[in-house]
Amino acid sequence: MTEYMRNVLWVALLGLAGFQASAAEEKGKQIVDTVCAACHVAGVLNAPKLGDIQDWMPRLQQGEEALIKHADEGFNAMPPKGGNASLSTEDIKLAVHHMMGLVGESIVSSKSATPTPPGKPAAAEKAPGKPAPASDKVAAGKSPVDSARSVVVEKPAARPAPKPAVIAKASPESRRVNSFNRLLRPAEQRNLPPAKDGIHDAENDGTEVLQHPKEAFSSLDKANSGNRVDWVKSLGGDKITPRYDLLDPDKRPMVLDLNIVREVKGSMPDVVYPHKQHTEWLDCSNCHPAIFIPKKGANNISMASILMGEQCGVCHGKVAFPVAECRKCHSKNKPMKK
Amino acid sequence: MINSRKGRCPGWIPGLAVMLVILLLGPAPATAEYGDVVINNYSDQAGMRPAIFPHWFHRIRFRCKVCHADLGFQFKAGGNDITMLKIIDGEFCGACHNGDIAWSVENCNLCHSGKPNTSTQVHQSTLQKLLAPAKPKAKE
Repeated sequence: MTEYMRNVLWVALLGLAGFQASAAEEKGKQIVDTVCAACHVAGVLNAPKLGDIQDWMPRLQQGEEALIKHADEGFNAMPPKGGNASLSTEDIKLAVHHMMGLVGESIVSSKSATPTPPGKPAAAEKAPGKPAPASDKVAAGKSPVDSARSVVVEKPAARPAPKPAVIAKASPESRRVNSFNRLLRPAEQRNLPPAKDGIHDAENDGTEVLQHPKEAFSSLDKANSGNRVDWVKSLGGDKITPRYDLLDPDKRPMVLDLNIVREVKGSMPDVVYPHKQHTEWLDCSNCHPAIFIPKKGANNISMASILMGEQCGVCHGKVAFPVAECRKCHSKNKPMKK
Repeated sequence: MINSRKGRCPGWIPGLAVMLVILLLGPAPATAEYGDVVINNYSDQAGMRPAIFPHWFHRIRFRCKVCHADLGFQFKAGGNDITMLKIIDGEFCGACHNGDIAWSVENCNLCHSGKPNTSTQVHQSTLQKLLAPAKPKAKE
Protein backbone atom coordinates (compact mmCIF):
# COMPACT_ATOMS: atom_id res chain seq x y z
CA MET A 1 0.00 0.00 0.00
CA THR A 2 2.79 2.40 0.85
CA GLU A 3 4.46 1.60 -2.45
CA TYR A 4 1.17 2.24 -4.17
CA MET A 5 0.86 5.61 -2.53
CA ARG A 6 4.41 6.39 -3.53
CA ASN A 7 3.59 5.62 -7.15
CA VAL A 8 0.65 8.00 -6.97
CA LEU A 9 2.83 10.75 -5.59
CA TRP A 10 5.62 10.15 -8.08
CA VAL A 11 3.41 10.38 -11.09
CA ALA A 12 1.62 13.45 -9.79
CA LEU A 13 4.88 15.20 -8.99
CA LEU A 14 6.68 14.29 -12.18
CA GLY A 15 3.69 15.17 -14.30
CA LEU A 16 3.28 18.47 -12.53
CA ALA A 17 6.95 19.24 -12.87
CA GLY A 18 6.63 18.70 -16.59
CA PHE A 19 3.58 20.88 -16.92
CA GLN A 20 4.96 23.72 -14.88
CA ALA A 21 7.76 24.21 -17.38
CA SER A 22 7.87 27.88 -18.11
CA ALA A 23 7.40 29.38 -21.52
CA ALA A 24 11.14 29.85 -21.85
CA GLU A 25 11.89 26.24 -21.00
CA GLU A 26 9.34 25.24 -23.56
CA LYS A 27 10.92 27.47 -26.12
CA GLY A 28 14.38 26.03 -25.49
CA LYS A 29 12.98 22.55 -25.89
CA GLN A 30 11.11 23.53 -29.01
CA ILE A 31 14.24 24.94 -30.63
CA VAL A 32 16.24 21.85 -29.71
CA ASP A 33 13.52 19.58 -31.08
CA THR A 34 13.05 21.43 -34.35
CA VAL A 35 16.53 22.76 -35.14
CA CYS A 36 19.31 21.19 -33.07
CA ALA A 37 17.85 17.68 -33.12
CA ALA A 38 18.57 17.45 -36.85
CA CYS A 39 22.23 16.80 -36.02
CA HIS A 40 22.34 16.28 -32.29
CA VAL A 41 20.02 13.27 -32.17
CA ALA A 42 22.16 11.12 -34.43
CA GLY A 43 25.49 12.80 -33.82
CA VAL A 44 26.03 14.01 -37.38
CA LEU A 45 29.69 15.06 -37.96
CA ASN A 46 30.49 14.15 -34.38
CA ALA A 47 27.88 16.46 -32.96
CA PRO A 48 27.44 15.63 -29.27
CA LYS A 49 24.25 13.60 -28.97
CA LEU A 50 21.40 14.87 -26.82
CA GLY A 51 21.73 13.60 -23.28
CA ASP A 52 24.91 11.61 -24.00
CA ILE A 53 27.15 12.10 -21.01
CA GLN A 54 30.37 10.97 -22.67
CA ASP A 55 29.84 13.18 -25.69
CA TRP A 56 29.15 16.19 -23.54
CA MET A 57 31.64 15.84 -20.69
CA PRO A 58 34.65 17.42 -22.44
CA ARG A 59 32.43 20.20 -23.77
CA LEU A 60 30.79 20.93 -20.45
CA GLN A 61 34.19 21.63 -18.98
CA GLN A 62 34.44 24.75 -21.14
CA GLY A 63 31.45 26.20 -19.33
CA GLU A 64 28.02 27.11 -20.61
CA GLU A 65 29.16 30.56 -21.77
CA ALA A 66 31.63 29.05 -24.22
CA LEU A 67 29.04 26.59 -25.49
CA ILE A 68 26.56 29.40 -26.10
CA LYS A 69 29.25 31.35 -27.94
CA HIS A 70 30.16 28.40 -30.14
CA ALA A 71 26.52 27.68 -30.88
CA ASP A 72 25.86 31.31 -31.64
CA GLU A 73 28.91 32.04 -33.79
CA GLY A 74 29.69 28.59 -35.10
CA PHE A 75 32.59 26.29 -34.21
CA ASN A 76 34.21 23.54 -36.32
CA ALA A 77 31.29 21.66 -37.94
CA MET A 78 28.74 23.56 -35.88
CA PRO A 79 27.17 26.22 -38.11
CA PRO A 80 26.36 29.63 -36.58
CA LYS A 81 23.03 29.51 -34.76
CA GLY A 82 22.71 25.85 -35.67
CA GLY A 83 22.19 26.85 -39.28
CA ASN A 84 19.00 28.76 -38.56
CA ALA A 85 19.83 32.45 -38.91
CA SER A 86 16.41 33.53 -37.66
CA LEU A 87 17.31 32.46 -34.12
CA SER A 88 18.46 35.17 -31.74
CA THR A 89 21.34 34.79 -29.30
CA GLU A 90 18.72 34.55 -26.58
CA ASP A 91 17.11 31.63 -28.42
CA ILE A 92 20.50 29.92 -28.64
CA LYS A 93 20.93 30.42 -24.90
CA LEU A 94 17.59 28.77 -24.20
CA ALA A 95 18.45 25.87 -26.48
CA VAL A 96 21.90 25.33 -24.95
CA HIS A 97 20.33 25.56 -21.52
CA HIS A 98 17.82 22.89 -22.45
CA MET A 99 20.59 20.63 -23.80
CA MET A 100 22.53 21.09 -20.55
CA GLY A 101 19.41 20.03 -18.72
CA LEU A 102 19.17 16.85 -20.80
CA VAL A 103 22.75 15.92 -19.93
CA GLY A 104 22.15 16.66 -16.26
CA GLU A 105 19.11 14.43 -16.27
CA SER A 106 21.05 11.63 -17.94
CA ILE A 107 23.68 11.83 -15.23
CA VAL A 108 21.05 11.63 -12.53
CA SER A 109 19.14 8.79 -14.14
CA SER A 110 22.21 6.76 -15.16
CA LYS A 111 23.13 6.57 -11.50
CA SER A 112 19.76 5.32 -10.38
CA ALA A 113 17.92 3.71 -13.28
CA THR A 114 18.48 0.26 -14.70
CA PRO A 115 19.03 0.29 -18.45
CA THR A 116 15.84 0.06 -20.43
CA PRO A 117 15.73 -1.19 -24.00
CA PRO A 118 15.54 1.60 -26.53
CA GLY A 119 12.03 2.42 -27.63
CA LYS A 120 10.70 2.33 -31.14
CA PRO A 121 10.35 5.91 -32.29
CA ALA A 122 8.26 6.89 -35.26
CA ALA A 123 11.43 7.69 -37.13
CA ALA A 124 12.78 4.16 -36.78
CA GLU A 125 9.62 2.67 -38.20
CA LYS A 126 9.95 4.74 -41.32
CA ALA A 127 13.60 3.79 -41.75
CA PRO A 128 13.73 0.03 -41.26
CA GLY A 129 17.07 -1.50 -40.47
CA LYS A 130 18.39 1.59 -38.79
CA PRO A 131 19.19 1.42 -35.13
CA ALA A 132 16.79 3.20 -32.89
CA PRO A 133 18.39 6.27 -31.37
CA ALA A 134 18.76 6.18 -27.64
CA SER A 135 17.32 9.61 -27.19
CA ASP A 136 14.01 8.37 -28.42
CA LYS A 137 12.05 10.73 -26.22
CA VAL A 138 13.36 13.65 -28.18
CA ALA A 139 12.88 12.17 -31.61
CA ALA A 140 9.63 10.34 -31.07
CA GLY A 141 6.16 11.67 -30.63
CA LYS A 142 6.79 14.90 -32.50
CA SER A 143 5.04 16.19 -35.55
CA PRO A 144 5.56 14.31 -38.82
CA VAL A 145 7.90 17.06 -39.96
CA ASP A 146 10.23 16.44 -37.03
CA SER A 147 10.16 12.72 -37.58
CA ALA A 148 10.96 13.15 -41.24
CA ARG A 149 13.85 15.40 -40.32
CA SER A 150 15.20 12.76 -37.98
CA VAL A 151 14.99 10.13 -40.71
CA VAL A 152 17.08 12.22 -43.06
CA VAL A 153 19.82 12.89 -40.59
CA GLU A 154 19.94 9.39 -39.19
CA LYS A 155 21.08 7.86 -42.46
CA PRO A 156 24.76 8.78 -42.18
CA ALA A 157 24.81 7.57 -38.60
CA ALA A 158 25.24 3.84 -39.15
CA ARG A 159 26.69 3.35 -35.71
CA PRO A 160 25.22 0.67 -33.47
CA ALA A 161 22.64 1.86 -31.03
CA PRO A 162 24.47 3.73 -28.32
CA LYS A 163 23.93 2.92 -24.70
CA PRO A 164 20.45 3.83 -23.66
CA ALA A 165 20.40 7.10 -21.85
CA VAL A 166 17.16 7.52 -20.01
CA ILE A 167 15.92 11.04 -20.47
CA ALA A 168 13.45 11.75 -17.76
CA LYS A 169 11.53 14.97 -17.63
CA ALA A 170 12.99 16.82 -14.67
CA SER A 171 11.37 19.81 -13.19
CA PRO A 172 12.71 23.22 -14.16
CA GLU A 173 11.45 24.38 -10.76
CA SER A 174 13.65 21.89 -8.98
CA ARG A 175 16.68 23.37 -10.68
CA ARG A 176 15.56 26.82 -9.65
CA VAL A 177 14.67 26.07 -6.08
CA ASN A 178 18.11 26.88 -4.73
CA SER A 179 18.78 29.80 -7.01
CA PHE A 180 19.80 33.06 -5.39
CA ASN A 181 16.37 34.60 -5.05
CA ARG A 182 13.27 32.82 -6.18
CA LEU A 183 11.33 36.09 -6.35
CA LEU A 184 13.65 37.41 -9.04
CA ARG A 185 12.81 36.38 -12.54
CA PRO A 186 15.35 34.09 -14.17
CA ALA A 187 16.94 35.40 -17.35
CA GLU A 188 14.84 33.32 -19.69
CA GLN A 189 11.63 34.80 -18.33
CA ARG A 190 12.53 38.44 -18.85
CA ASN A 191 11.00 40.64 -21.55
CA LEU A 192 9.12 37.84 -23.27
CA PRO A 193 7.28 38.53 -26.52
CA PRO A 194 3.55 39.24 -25.98
CA ALA A 195 2.37 35.88 -27.30
CA LYS A 196 4.42 34.07 -24.66
CA ASP A 197 4.01 36.35 -21.67
CA GLY A 198 1.05 34.59 -20.08
CA ILE A 199 -1.49 37.42 -20.18
CA HIS A 200 -1.79 38.02 -23.92
CA ASP A 201 -3.94 35.60 -25.87
CA ALA A 202 -1.63 33.91 -28.37
CA GLU A 203 -4.66 33.01 -30.50
CA ASN A 204 -5.56 36.65 -31.01
CA ASP A 205 -4.36 37.96 -34.37
CA GLY A 206 -3.57 41.37 -32.86
CA THR A 207 -1.11 39.85 -30.39
CA GLU A 208 1.25 38.98 -33.22
CA VAL A 209 1.35 42.60 -34.37
CA LEU A 210 2.45 44.02 -31.01
CA GLN A 211 6.02 45.13 -30.55
CA HIS A 212 8.29 42.84 -28.54
CA PRO A 213 9.64 44.53 -25.41
CA LYS A 214 13.14 43.21 -26.02
CA GLU A 215 13.26 44.94 -29.37
CA ALA A 216 12.16 48.23 -27.85
CA PHE A 217 14.57 47.96 -24.90
CA SER A 218 17.67 46.93 -26.82
CA SER A 219 19.04 50.47 -27.05
CA LEU A 220 17.99 51.61 -23.56
CA ASP A 221 20.00 51.65 -20.34
CA LYS A 222 19.67 48.47 -18.32
CA ALA A 223 18.48 48.02 -14.76
CA ASN A 224 18.18 45.03 -12.46
CA SER A 225 14.47 45.02 -11.85
CA GLY A 226 11.09 45.97 -13.27
CA ASN A 227 11.27 46.11 -17.05
CA ARG A 228 15.06 45.73 -16.66
CA VAL A 229 15.27 49.24 -18.09
CA ASP A 230 16.68 52.27 -16.28
CA TRP A 231 14.03 54.72 -17.44
CA VAL A 232 15.48 57.77 -15.71
CA LYS A 233 18.92 57.17 -17.16
CA SER A 234 17.49 56.46 -20.61
CA LEU A 235 15.55 59.71 -20.50
CA GLY A 236 18.57 61.67 -19.22
CA GLY A 237 20.75 60.27 -21.99
CA ASP A 238 18.15 61.08 -24.67
CA LYS A 239 17.81 57.39 -25.54
CA ILE A 240 14.09 58.07 -25.40
CA THR A 241 12.33 61.36 -26.06
CA PRO A 242 8.83 61.00 -24.64
CA ARG A 243 6.54 63.95 -25.23
CA TYR A 244 5.55 66.17 -22.33
CA ASP A 245 2.51 67.41 -24.23
CA LEU A 246 -0.03 65.43 -26.19
CA LEU A 247 0.32 67.53 -29.33
CA ASP A 248 3.39 69.73 -28.98
CA PRO A 249 6.58 67.69 -29.32
CA ASP A 250 8.74 70.66 -28.32
CA LYS A 251 7.15 71.40 -24.96
CA ARG A 252 9.59 70.87 -22.10
CA PRO A 253 8.78 70.04 -18.49
CA MET A 254 9.38 72.50 -15.65
CA VAL A 255 12.02 70.64 -13.72
CA LEU A 256 12.34 71.38 -10.01
CA ASP A 257 15.77 70.54 -8.64
CA LEU A 258 15.02 70.11 -4.95
CA ASN A 259 16.00 67.18 -2.77
CA ILE A 260 13.93 66.29 0.29
CA VAL A 261 15.76 64.26 2.91
CA ARG A 262 13.63 62.08 5.15
CA GLU A 263 15.22 60.66 8.23
CA VAL A 264 14.03 57.15 8.84
CA LYS A 265 13.78 54.98 11.92
CA GLY A 266 16.04 51.99 12.43
CA SER A 267 19.26 51.23 10.68
CA MET A 268 18.22 51.89 7.10
CA PRO A 269 19.94 54.82 5.38
CA ASP A 270 17.84 57.98 5.18
CA VAL A 271 15.71 58.63 2.14
CA VAL A 272 16.63 61.29 -0.36
CA TYR A 273 13.67 62.22 -2.52
CA PRO A 274 14.74 64.04 -5.70
CA HIS A 275 12.13 66.34 -7.20
CA LYS A 276 14.30 66.56 -10.31
CA GLN A 277 13.80 63.06 -11.67
CA HIS A 278 10.13 63.11 -10.74
CA THR A 279 9.32 66.42 -12.40
CA GLU A 280 10.95 65.20 -15.60
CA TRP A 281 8.07 62.78 -15.93
CA LEU A 282 5.24 64.16 -13.83
CA ASP A 283 3.23 67.26 -13.14
CA CYS A 284 3.10 68.70 -9.59
CA SER A 285 -0.61 67.94 -9.52
CA ASN A 286 0.05 64.24 -9.94
CA CYS A 287 1.35 64.01 -6.37
CA HIS A 288 0.31 67.24 -4.63
CA PRO A 289 -1.84 67.53 -2.65
CA ALA A 290 -3.75 64.26 -3.08
CA ILE A 291 -0.90 61.85 -2.39
CA PHE A 292 1.62 64.05 -0.57
CA ILE A 293 0.76 67.19 1.37
CA PRO A 294 3.38 69.71 0.24
CA LYS A 295 4.56 70.51 3.74
CA LYS A 296 7.54 69.22 5.66
CA GLY A 297 6.58 66.66 8.28
CA ALA A 298 2.97 66.47 7.15
CA ASN A 299 3.23 63.08 5.50
CA ASN A 300 3.52 59.94 7.55
CA ILE A 301 5.13 57.51 5.14
CA SER A 302 5.75 53.85 5.88
CA MET A 303 7.03 50.91 3.88
CA ALA A 304 3.83 49.07 4.83
CA SER A 305 1.66 51.61 3.05
CA ILE A 306 4.08 51.76 0.12
CA LEU A 307 3.83 48.00 -0.27
CA MET A 308 0.06 48.38 -0.18
CA GLY A 309 0.26 50.65 -3.19
CA GLU A 310 -0.10 53.99 -1.41
CA GLN A 311 2.17 57.05 -1.24
CA CYS A 312 5.39 56.21 -3.16
CA GLY A 313 3.77 52.85 -3.89
CA VAL A 314 1.23 54.52 -6.16
CA CYS A 315 3.94 54.29 -8.83
CA HIS A 316 6.89 52.42 -7.27
CA GLY A 317 6.01 48.75 -7.34
CA LYS A 318 3.60 49.22 -10.22
CA VAL A 319 5.41 50.99 -13.03
CA ALA A 320 8.31 53.03 -11.65
CA PHE A 321 11.26 51.01 -10.29
CA PRO A 322 10.02 48.47 -7.76
CA VAL A 323 10.58 48.60 -4.01
CA ALA A 324 13.15 45.80 -4.23
CA GLU A 325 15.62 48.54 -5.14
CA CYS A 326 15.97 49.70 -1.50
CA ARG A 327 19.10 51.76 -1.96
CA LYS A 328 17.76 53.87 -4.78
CA CYS A 329 15.64 55.72 -2.19
CA HIS A 330 17.44 54.84 1.04
CA SER A 331 20.60 56.38 -0.28
CA LYS A 332 21.96 58.63 2.48
CA ASN A 333 24.00 56.75 5.04
CA LYS A 334 23.52 57.75 8.66
CA PRO A 335 26.48 59.16 10.52
CA MET A 336 28.31 56.50 12.55
CA LYS A 337 27.38 56.52 16.23
CA LYS A 338 30.20 56.91 18.68
CA MET B 1 8.60 3.39 -10.87
CA ILE B 2 5.23 2.65 -12.44
CA ASN B 3 4.17 -0.76 -11.23
CA SER B 4 1.04 -1.99 -12.94
CA ARG B 5 1.42 -5.65 -12.04
CA LYS B 6 -0.65 -5.28 -8.95
CA GLY B 7 -4.04 -6.85 -8.79
CA ARG B 8 -5.72 -3.47 -8.65
CA CYS B 9 -5.74 -0.24 -10.52
CA PRO B 10 -2.15 0.90 -11.14
CA GLY B 11 -0.76 3.80 -9.17
CA TRP B 12 -0.43 6.12 -12.10
CA ILE B 13 -4.16 6.53 -12.68
CA PRO B 14 -4.92 8.31 -9.41
CA GLY B 15 -1.54 9.97 -9.79
CA LEU B 16 -2.69 11.48 -13.04
CA ALA B 17 -5.93 12.53 -11.40
CA VAL B 18 -4.09 14.25 -8.53
CA MET B 19 -1.86 16.02 -11.05
CA LEU B 20 -4.82 17.26 -13.06
CA VAL B 21 -6.58 18.56 -9.98
CA ILE B 22 -3.51 20.50 -8.86
CA LEU B 23 -3.01 21.80 -12.39
CA LEU B 24 -6.57 23.05 -12.56
CA LEU B 25 -6.27 24.78 -9.21
CA GLY B 26 -2.90 26.39 -9.78
CA PRO B 27 -2.81 29.23 -12.29
CA ALA B 28 -0.11 29.12 -14.95
CA PRO B 29 2.68 31.56 -14.14
CA ALA B 30 2.45 34.74 -16.18
CA THR B 31 5.64 36.56 -17.01
CA ALA B 32 4.50 39.65 -18.85
CA GLU B 33 6.17 43.04 -18.58
CA TYR B 34 6.29 44.91 -15.31
CA GLY B 35 3.54 47.52 -15.34
CA ASP B 36 1.37 45.95 -18.02
CA VAL B 37 -2.20 46.81 -17.03
CA VAL B 38 -5.01 44.37 -17.72
CA ILE B 39 -8.38 46.14 -17.83
CA ASN B 40 -11.34 43.86 -17.55
CA ASN B 41 -14.07 46.12 -16.23
CA TYR B 42 -16.53 45.25 -18.98
CA SER B 43 -14.66 43.17 -21.56
CA ASP B 44 -15.55 39.67 -20.38
CA GLN B 45 -19.25 40.50 -20.05
CA ALA B 46 -19.20 42.04 -23.51
CA GLY B 47 -17.59 38.94 -25.02
CA MET B 48 -14.35 40.74 -25.80
CA ARG B 49 -10.86 39.81 -24.67
CA PRO B 50 -9.65 42.01 -21.79
CA ALA B 51 -7.69 45.09 -22.88
CA ILE B 52 -3.97 45.18 -22.09
CA PHE B 53 -2.23 48.51 -21.70
CA PRO B 54 1.56 48.17 -22.05
CA HIS B 55 2.97 50.90 -19.81
CA TRP B 56 6.50 50.41 -21.16
CA PHE B 57 5.46 51.05 -24.75
CA HIS B 58 3.77 54.32 -23.84
CA ARG B 59 6.58 55.46 -21.50
CA ILE B 60 8.93 55.50 -24.45
CA ARG B 61 6.62 57.95 -26.23
CA PHE B 62 4.95 60.03 -23.55
CA ARG B 63 5.80 61.23 -20.06
CA CYS B 64 3.50 60.14 -17.24
CA LYS B 65 2.04 63.62 -17.00
CA VAL B 66 0.35 63.50 -20.39
CA CYS B 67 -2.04 60.69 -19.47
CA HIS B 68 -2.13 61.01 -15.70
CA ALA B 69 -2.53 64.79 -15.47
CA ASP B 70 -3.80 66.04 -18.83
CA LEU B 71 -6.03 63.12 -19.81
CA GLY B 72 -7.21 62.33 -16.30
CA PHE B 73 -6.23 58.70 -15.93
CA GLN B 74 -6.30 57.80 -12.23
CA PHE B 75 -3.34 55.87 -10.84
CA LYS B 76 -5.39 52.73 -10.35
CA ALA B 77 -5.92 49.69 -12.52
CA GLY B 78 -9.63 49.44 -13.19
CA GLY B 79 -10.19 52.78 -11.43
CA ASN B 80 -11.01 54.61 -14.66
CA ASP B 81 -14.44 54.04 -16.08
CA ILE B 82 -13.30 53.61 -19.66
CA THR B 83 -15.88 52.63 -22.25
CA MET B 84 -15.66 52.43 -26.01
CA LEU B 85 -18.20 55.26 -26.28
CA LYS B 86 -15.94 57.58 -24.33
CA ILE B 87 -12.92 56.50 -26.35
CA ILE B 88 -14.72 57.24 -29.61
CA ASP B 89 -15.69 60.62 -28.14
CA GLY B 90 -12.01 61.37 -27.65
CA GLU B 91 -11.73 60.68 -23.94
CA PHE B 92 -9.11 58.44 -22.27
CA CYS B 93 -7.37 56.27 -24.91
CA GLY B 94 -9.35 58.09 -27.58
CA ALA B 95 -7.35 61.27 -27.02
CA CYS B 96 -4.56 59.66 -29.05
CA HIS B 97 -6.08 56.54 -30.54
CA ASN B 98 -8.09 58.44 -33.12
CA GLY B 99 -6.13 57.72 -36.27
CA ASP B 100 -4.35 61.02 -35.81
CA ILE B 101 -1.72 60.64 -33.08
CA ALA B 102 -1.97 56.86 -32.85
CA TRP B 103 -3.90 54.19 -34.71
CA SER B 104 -7.67 54.33 -34.24
CA VAL B 105 -10.25 52.16 -32.52
CA GLU B 106 -10.95 49.93 -35.50
CA ASN B 107 -7.94 47.86 -34.46
CA CYS B 108 -9.93 46.15 -31.73
CA ASN B 109 -7.59 43.22 -31.24
CA LEU B 110 -4.46 45.27 -30.62
CA CYS B 111 -5.82 46.38 -27.23
CA HIS B 112 -8.33 43.61 -26.60
CA SER B 113 -5.59 41.03 -26.71
CA GLY B 114 -5.67 39.49 -23.23
CA LYS B 115 -6.53 35.93 -22.34
CA PRO B 116 -10.25 35.76 -21.55
CA ASN B 117 -11.04 35.86 -17.81
CA THR B 118 -7.78 37.59 -16.88
CA SER B 119 -8.60 39.82 -13.93
CA THR B 120 -7.96 43.55 -13.82
CA GLN B 121 -4.40 44.02 -12.55
CA VAL B 122 -1.11 45.83 -12.75
CA HIS B 123 1.03 42.94 -13.81
CA GLN B 124 4.03 42.17 -11.59
CA SER B 125 3.06 44.89 -9.12
CA THR B 126 4.07 44.56 -5.49
CA LEU B 127 0.43 44.22 -4.50
CA GLN B 128 -0.13 41.45 -6.98
CA LYS B 129 3.02 39.56 -6.04
CA LEU B 130 2.94 39.84 -2.26
CA LEU B 131 -0.63 40.32 -1.24
CA ALA B 132 -3.21 39.38 -3.79
CA PRO B 133 -2.29 36.54 -6.13
CA ALA B 134 -4.30 36.95 -9.30
CA LYS B 135 -7.48 34.95 -9.29
CA PRO B 136 -9.56 34.55 -12.39
CA LYS B 137 -12.68 36.67 -12.37
CA ALA B 138 -11.73 38.46 -9.14
CA LYS B 139 -13.77 41.60 -8.78
CA GLU B 140 -12.05 44.81 -7.88
